[in-house]
Amino acid sequence: MPCRTTSSPPPSSSFSAGLLTALASRNLHVSVIMNERKTIDLEQGWDFMQKGITKLKNILEGLPEPQFSSEDYMMLYTTIYNMCTQKPPHDYSQQLYDKYRESFEEYITSAVLPSLREKHDEFMLRELVKRWSNHKVMVRWLSRFFHYLDRYFIARRSLPGLNEVGLTCFRDLVYHELNGKVRDAVISLIDQEREGEQIDRALLKNVLDIFVEIGMGQMDHYENDFEEVMLKDTAAYYSRKASNWILEDSCPDYMLKAEECLKREKDRVSHYLHFSSEPKLLEKVQHELLSVYATQLLEKEHSGCHALLRDDKVEDLSRMYRLFWKIPRGLDPVSNIFKQHVSTEGTALVKQAEDAASNKKADKKDVVGLQEQVFVRKVIELHDKYMAYVNDCFTNHTLFHKALKEAFEIFCNKGVSGSSSAELLATFCDNILKKGGSEKLSDEAIEETLEKVVKLLAYISDKDLFAEFYRKKLARRLLFDKSANDEHERSILTKLKQQCGGQFTSKMEGMVTDLTLAKENQSNFEEYLSNNPNINPGIDLTVTVLTTGFWPSYKSFDLNLPAEMVKCVEVFREFYQTKTKHRKLTWIYSLGTCNINGKFDPKTMELIVTTYQASALLLFNTSDTLSYQEIMTQLNLSDDDVVRLLHSLSCAKYKILTKEPNTKTITPTDHFEFNSKFTDKMKRIKIPLPPVDEKKKVIEDVDKDRRYAIDASIVRIMKSRKVLGYQQLVMECVEQLGRMFKPDVKAIKKRIEDLITRDYLERDKDNPNIFRYLA
Amino acid sequence: MLVRQGWSLEYESLDTGVELWTLLSACICSKSLVRRQRNIGIKMVEESDPYADMILADGISLLCNDIQVDPQDIVMLAISWHMKAATMCEFSKQEFVRGLQALGIDSLEKFRERIPFIRSELKDEHKFQEIYNFAFDWAKEKGQKSLALDTAIGMWQLLFAEKEWPLVEHWCQFLQARHNKAISRDTWSQLLEFARTVDPALTNYDAEGAWPYLIDEFVEYLLENGIQKVQLSDWTH
Repeated sequence: MPCRTTSSPPPSSSFSAGLLTALASRNLHVSVIMNERKTIDLEQGWDFMQKGITKLKNILEGLPEPQFSSEDYMMLYTTIYNMCTQKPPHDYSQQLYDKYRESFEEYITSAVLPSLREKHDEFMLRELVKRWSNHKVMVRWLSRFFHYLDRYFIARRSLPGLNEVGLTCFRDLVYHELNGKVRDAVISLIDQEREGEQIDRALLKNVLDIFVEIGMGQMDHYENDFEEVMLKDTAAYYSRKASNWILEDSCPDYMLKAEECLKREKDRVSHYLHFSSEPKLLEKVQHELLSVYATQLLEKEHSGCHALLRDDKVEDLSRMYRLFWKIPRGLDPVSNIFKQHVSTEGTALVKQAEDAASNKKADKKDVVGLQEQVFVRKVIELHDKYMAYVNDCFTNHTLFHKALKEAFEIFCNKGVSGSSSAELLATFCDNILKKGGSEKLSDEAIEETLEKVVKLLAYISDKDLFAEFYRKKLARRLLFDKSANDEHERSILTKLKQQCGGQFTSKMEGMVTDLTLAKENQSNFEEYLSNNPNINPGIDLTVTVLTTGFWPSYKSFDLNLPAEMVKCVEVFREFYQTKTKHRKLTWIYSLGTCNINGKFDPKTMELIVTTYQASALLLFNTSDTLSYQEIMTQLNLSDDDVVRLLHSLSCAKYKILTKEPNTKTITPTDHFEFNSKFTDKMKRIKIPLPPVDEKKKVIEDVDKDRRYAIDASIVRIMKSRKVLGYQQLVMECVEQLGRMFKPDVKAIKKRIEDLITRDYLERDKDNPNIFRYLA
Repeated sequence: MLVRQGWSLEYESLDTGVELWTLLSACICSKSLVRRQRNIGIKMVEESDPYADMILADGISLLCNDIQVDPQDIVMLAISWHMKAATMCEFSKQEFVRGLQALGIDSLEKFRERIPFIRSELKDEHKFQEIYNFAFDWAKEKGQKSLALDTAIGMWQLLFAEKEWPLVEHWCQFLQARHNKAISRDTWSQLLEFARTVDPALTNYDAEGAWPYLIDEFVEYLLENGIQKVQLSDWTH
């Protein structure tokens, strides 16, 4: 190839073309001949060059002209070489350099521009592409002819290179004149394509390449002369479109269009725009189609985000996510609407449950009813449903997890007709875990439901309240042998532990363990009795020894036990002393159960009753009739307890006692008699004693615990910080306690004041908003 | 005035009338109490048992009479503050003598002359604050941490009549209606702060601030009852 030769001293004019390829290996020989050549003057040399240039122009113009032969090229190159290597004043480098440029300028002015100027639009574009491509050919050839200038003259003087001079001529003369016109023509074609017309994409690609190439490595021309205006036009185009669509189309249709537009624009970039335009272009389109109309679109009355959520339009919602995901803060309104929607649905469930509860309220007041149970079920379903939305439509985006959480926190903390949601959840768990609960579920279903309940607990701020209710109910399940399945009991504790931490479940776990230990203890006790038959009280006694602190607090030592039972207690006490000396037993009779035989006239029956009930019944072994007052004195119980247990024995399903007067309620003037006529088709019956409503006590206990917790937290914070502003103290306190409950700021304030009174803290003398720790 | 169980007051002579003594004896003249002659005035008085000798209610009314001040006058509180008196309606001899010493009073005459000055001190914001905070300990039952509500209300009415806080009556009504419990030292001292810094229209009250909860509730009470009307949004400014 000719260009290869440039690395060696040029051949003399007498060399034949046939030798061209062999040049490299003959360097030595050639250099010998060099000194013999004749001086060429400028005019003569240029005449020769001019001929070559004219031939080139003719070829470019498509006139009949034979192609350049290697020999032609050699001659032209050598002429330049010679004219540049002659001794001054015959070194014509500068003149040739100027003439090189002038050749382009002359050609452009005389041929290129006139032909471009007379054409318009697409034809002009085609001409331009052709002219540009010709120009590049011309630059290539001319720069080869003049190549010797590049090597020494240009390099030495740091002048623009031949290639650059060639391209600059086109840029200065053609591009600068026409770029505006070209750009407009291109943009108009793009708009035509946007309107669905077929256009010559290859042409656009070529035209836009000119904008890039003319920059010679810089993108300035493409960006400033074309892209900027193109983006503006795009914005205007879509702004027009959007303003119509937003009025005419439903939200899903609009989104379909928007998605399609974005896809097309992306396609456009890949076909003829420079790849660097893609983000800018898409940003414009997104802005005009989505950002500008976001609110209007999302809040379209019958088809907006609300409606899509309402109608479960999963696909449209996914599209909405895809579209708005790309827009800065675009998902915020979507997640807000999502949150609103979920919270509205949840609040509706609360309302529904409230209504149902108030309709049923009349008969059963204290017990958390079936309706509330249904409510928790529904909340779980709601959670399942929208968690699926978060996962699928909203691809697990944190914003939507947050929205879901906040929505649930809003209505989950409302509670239904006087029962806090903490209580409802605890009751729900109880129903699932106890024998004969209202739900019949397979083991797997139970596990799954428990898992979900525990998840719901995350939304409840009063976790301590839940724990207290749960413990109360767990105690009943364990102590009255109502727990259906030990596995499930342990499994939910594991789940709770995972979610709320070990401190949360330590007491509950202690309770479950206590029961296992109690079983061992019982068999030891039985062994003890069989080894010491002389002290056997003659009644089967089972004692469950519990660890104080794990269990809820109960009243103790209130009841006057019947003598038979007192003996039992004594025996057990002795047994227990043999095991340990350092523990104190506190008897809780209110949690006891007795199986007693009732000798009724028709038949003898076994009655399963509580220790309270049994004690009351045993009074009738010595008296036929007893007054309310007598019973109360002999049992040493409060009015509440006496009323409750007498009601269970005389007014409920099984009337073991007859009451005078025979009414449905107990009054202090009533008299009671053993009902010897009582019978039932069963041989063994259980006489339930409805539990006292413990809600108030639980809430009070929790309140008290909270005061301690707040005190401890404040002292902990102040101990480490010594001096702290009020706001920050409250904030840190809320943060520390937040895992268990949401402390009321007022409550914290009261505790702070209490701690001031107790000299743990003081106010700063100068700034009452600052507290100091008093060590 | 003033004497109980053998407050044995000694005096030397009624010579140039320099002694505190003159004053005391003048007060006491109705009762025949003055005995022994020994040292002069102050020194000697200090030697005696400070707990045995107290000026109690009767004595105080005599004193008031002598210095021509109403016992209910707030200036009596200011005087007690100067005396560093531990308890309302009581001066121990030690308190009394040291107080007079500090005030540079050695005669009834001077005592009377000093009253306007003591009264003027109440106008000094800093001194008023000290007197206000002094009043809490002075007025409360000894051994208690807080101040009985009735006493507190009485003191507030006295103090804020001086300080002119327009909400004082509402405050007292509020306490009787909603609180009805003793007042902690913190609430006591913060109330003055509240009266001093928050304007009566509550425009610069900050609900998020560290005011004692009782004061927060008072503001709620004012708003609930339409006594003051403030937009919530204004509170944040």
